[in-house]
Amino acid sequence: MNWLRLISIASLLLLLVPIFVLLYYGLGPFRDAAGFSTAVLRSIELTLFSSALAVVADFILFTPLAYYLARGNDRITESLVDIPVSVPHPIIGVALLILDSPVTPTGQFLLGLHINFYNTILGLVTALVIMSAPIYVKSMEPYFESKDPAPEEFAMGMGASRLKTLYSVVLPNSRDGLTSASLISMSRALSEFGSISIIAFYVLQFPFYGVSPASVTIYEFFSGNMSGGLNAAVTASAAMILVAIPITLAGHLFRRRAGR
Amino acid sequence: MIEAKVHVQVGEFRLHAELQGGGMICLAGKNGTGKTTLLRAIAGFLPISEGFVRIGATDITQFPAEEREVVLVTPNTCIPHLGVDPHIVWGARLKGLRPQGEYVLRVKSELGIDYRGTVGNLSRGMRQRVALATALLSSPRAILVDEAFLGLNEREAFVSTYGQLAKRAGVDVIFSSQDEADGKLADYLYVLRNGLASLKQRDANS
Repeated sequence: MNWLRLISIASLLLLLVPIFVLLYYGLGPFRDAAGFSTAVLRSIELTLFSSALAVVADFILFTPLAYYLARGNDRITESLVDIPVSVPHPIIGVALLILDSPVTPTGQFLLGLHINFYNTILGLVTALVIMSAPIYVKSMEPYFESKDPAPEEFAMGMGASRLKTLYSVVLPNSRDGLTSASLISMSRALSEFGSISIIAFYVLQFPFYGVSPASVTIYEFFSGNMSGGLNAAVTASAAMILVAIPITLAGHLFRRRAGR
Repeated sequence: MIEAKVHVQVGEFRLHAELQGGGMICLAGKNGTGKTTLLRAIAGFLPISEGFVRIGATDITQFPAEEREVVLVTPNTCIPHLGVDPHIVWGARLKGLRPQGEYVLRVKSELGIDYRGTVGNLSRGMRQRVALATALLSSPRAILVDEAFLGLNEREAFVSTYGQLAKRAGVDVIFSSQDEADGKLADYLYVLRNGLASLKQRDANS
């Protein structure tokens, strides 16, 4: 009897039981047409769109940071990266609200540049970037660390800066690592609720005018603010899980490939 | 002419080494004697606690690796996604140099690079030849070859040809080997007994 395997499977089931329960009831006994309504599909669409944009921003803005942490020895910066995900997530929503409030100097400055976070796609994506970037960085950092530094040192010996080396030598040979980190951080963005329920409860911009992110829509069903109630909340949750699972699994599949 | 007096500590391992010479310099020593440590210190990838590294009239001790113009070539060195030809001129282009096509062809021919394809898909020996050609065409101050001559076909002829090309280009080369007999391929032979001892210079022709 392999007890370690048995205990591992039991603990994994513990994690997955809520997901299976939601899928069973959402697609079975509690299935409600409101859970597959246009409003729900639009909210899933908005969630996918904003999460994908957040991942693009993660790649552009945070790949250099992940590389810096992997090849440097900056423990302070490394621990600071974890802060956004270690505080209650609504705090990030409140922080963005204050940052962009007309009563604060930063807000006056940003609004002067027509940068508005409140109920906009920009605000939604910004919150998702803050919540998913630490996951992206923590996925890319060990991937970069695992790569043989010989090609990088070769390039630097010929005069390439660290940044040039990153873009010309490391990234073109990091497709699997980048894909894996992007999909895993996208999974994280898809699941966000706390921060976006404050900064972008719904979006008041084309083409998503009046649409809420999926997690907010599910909460709206649950709290009775949208007609459909618990059954619609469970059905919409199941629909969201069906969308999110392939992305998460693909992320881990690429991580295995990247590790080879 | 390369002059290096290097004290390095990596964990429990301490290296005290002195080296002076030009042209082809062979750095011989068994596994764990500090050959790679010394080469990495000269290239700027390991901090030295004491000493200096000079190449010609320039003291590069305080230079970051990317400003030293010292290329470190190991058996795993290459830029895998590039094709052979773009790879060979990559370092030169980076510096804004445009090596003449005739010269590139001669280097390729003399180093036995008569193949194409993506460098990452080539055999290790083929990749090493491409990496060594790339280093040479980038016109650095020095090339440090850390066991990258090992495993090449007709190795002695290749090292000799590479040395001649490097001399013509005015580039000093230090190559490491586990075999002291490789000193016959070099102008200078230094034997590293262990990390604590100074290097012993020998007459390479003896």
